[in-house]
Amino acid sequence: MTDARAAAEGLLYREAWCLDNKCWEDWLALYTEDAVYWAPAMDGDEGWTDDPDKDVSLMYMDKAGLEARIFRIEGHDSYATDPLPHTAHLVTNVLVHGEQDGLTRVTATWMVRTYARVRGGSVRGGLYEYGLRETADGLRIATKKIFIHDDRIVGPIDVYNV
Amino acid sequence: MTSAQELVDDREGENIFRVHRSAFTDPAIFDQEMAEIFGRTWLYLCHESQIAKHGDYVATQIGTQPVFVIRGSDDDIRCFYDVCSHRGSRLTGRTSGSAKTLTCRYHGWCFNAEGACTLVRGGDEAYRPEDLDRMDTNLRPIEKFGSYKGFLFGCLDADAPPLDEFLGGAMPFIDLMTDQAPDGMEILRGESRYMMEANWKLQTENSTDGYHVATVHRNFATTVGYRETLAPEGDSGMAKTEASRILSLEKINSGGYDVGNGHMINWADRGNPEAGPSWPQREALLQRYPAGKVKWMLERGRTVTVFPNLLLNDVASSCIRVWRPISAELTEIETWCIAPKNEAPEARRARIRKYEDFFFPASLAVPDDVRAMEGAQIGSEALEDGWNDLALGHKTLVDGADDAAKELGVTPLNSNPGREVETPFFAFWREWAARLSP
Repeated sequence: MTDARAAAEGLLYREAWCLDNKCWEDWLALYTEDAVYWAPAMDGDEGWTDDPDKDVSLMYMDKAGLEARIFRIEGHDSYATDPLPHTAHLVTNVLVHGEQDGLTRVTATWMVRTYARVRGGSVRGGLYEYGLRETADGLRIATKKIFIHDDRIVGPIDVYNV
Repeated sequence: MTSAQELVDDREGENIFRVHRSAFTDPAIFDQEMAEIFGRTWLYLCHESQIAKHGDYVATQIGTQPVFVIRGSDDDIRCFYDVCSHRGSRLTGRTSGSAKTLTCRYHGWCFNAEGACTLVRGGDEAYRPEDLDRMDTNLRPIEKFGSYKGFLFGCLDADAPPLDEFLGGAMPFIDLMTDQAPDGMEILRGESRYMMEANWKLQTENSTDGYHVATVHRNFATTVGYRETLAPEGDSGMAKTEASRILSLEKINSGGYDVGNGHMINWADRGNPEAGPSWPQREALLQRYPAGKVKWMLERGRTVTVFPNLLLNDVASSCIRVWRPISAELTEIETWCIAPKNEAPEARRARIRKYEDFFFPASLAVPDDVRAMEGAQIGSEALEDGWNDLALGHKTLVDGADDAAKELGVTPLNSNPGREVETPFFAFWREWAARLSP
């Protein structure tokens, strides 16, 4: 295993651990200040939207947007988010694709098993594309793109269950 | 089985309006709805911008029937049952696509975009000419199909009234959206379909329910308000949200209308209309339309709920929402962002971000709505004698137009000041009961 891949895996697994253990501040700290978090929407049966300024995305957020998601969860005032489900992120097939625009390009495959007492268990899956940057605090996430494969979505989609 | 009429306790002289909760749970009522409402009323199919070129199609459903809308070589738009005339295979393989010739995947019969059968594979050898005449190999158009300002509707009842007559009092409110767009409107790329484990009528009510906004969406308002404190400069100008409006209901000029045929309007003055994506068009709009109408376009957020399952929402952003019943307890919901063509990039970007904030299943609002409606479904199962009392606002209901309606020059059947009222629901439930009555 290359050092680059080991480092990337360490970061991706750390993110999954933070989300599944609801360590929101630790999770947020894995992102750079200028981070872009993007889950494109489907376009037709096989495609995805590709321009967040012209097309609709499922989520397109900066770091303030991510912090607001934590605020939403911790406020315990969102019907969909309180109580929170249990989640188990499986992150696998991690590959490093080299450097581009000063970022290390990494792809991975994900499945998240969600269990909520109201709804029971459900599984969603898709692909990740990351852009990672070495900072004074260590390797951090500068871009994260999440392809959510599920159509006819059951239950909420939020940062904790994709 | 209880009849549908018995489920709506509508006693006008006694100020009573109640709906029995079995309306949301009874499978026999659901079957009646599919036959008498979804089998017979005009239903929204898609927007003309989604099928801009010859051969572009959208595959959807009318009630339980698969249909597709396609643009022909003559530029006319038609809607056909999505069924091969040979042995009934669904013709379209995609939710949307482009095909000047539709080839049945099963046995290879071909149809053009005007619905004519252009190839019966091996037919010359196997059939006499009179066999093919008898079989009528062309695609079957749906019974009624029409457009209002680019919104395409279909109906399976050949005897239904014309689309304009059906839309009736909702039309001036649809115009408030489309008249903001001198070059027409377009559906933006980016789809969402999500499931709600609840009855479809809960979504009809929710779409025009101003009473839940301050509770269910309080979290939306505080979250977006919090986000703005993190990036005070990034969320200025058009990116500025209207979060404050949700939390300060008592100061807001707002109301609800019954505009007939089961259509409902809920509106509220906007907190900061100058942040709206169409605000830069204000001067141009004032040249074309009366000031009262422009005020309605730009300074009043509106939900237009068209019977039985369409919402046109023009608030901080602009959304089309359709909810399709699967069973009494399961509903598929689909939404699209609609915007004026040739909108300035900054306005378009702000419209999209606000749409994502509120209208998608990954947003800060819709998941809370869905959970609230699913909770209502669970509770509706609970009591055999359970009634939903919808008298909220009965005390302030007035016949005809209020001052705001007069500014637009329209006369609803009734008006109610304040959006925290349930009286617009009467429109829906009265139409519902009438259509299910023998």
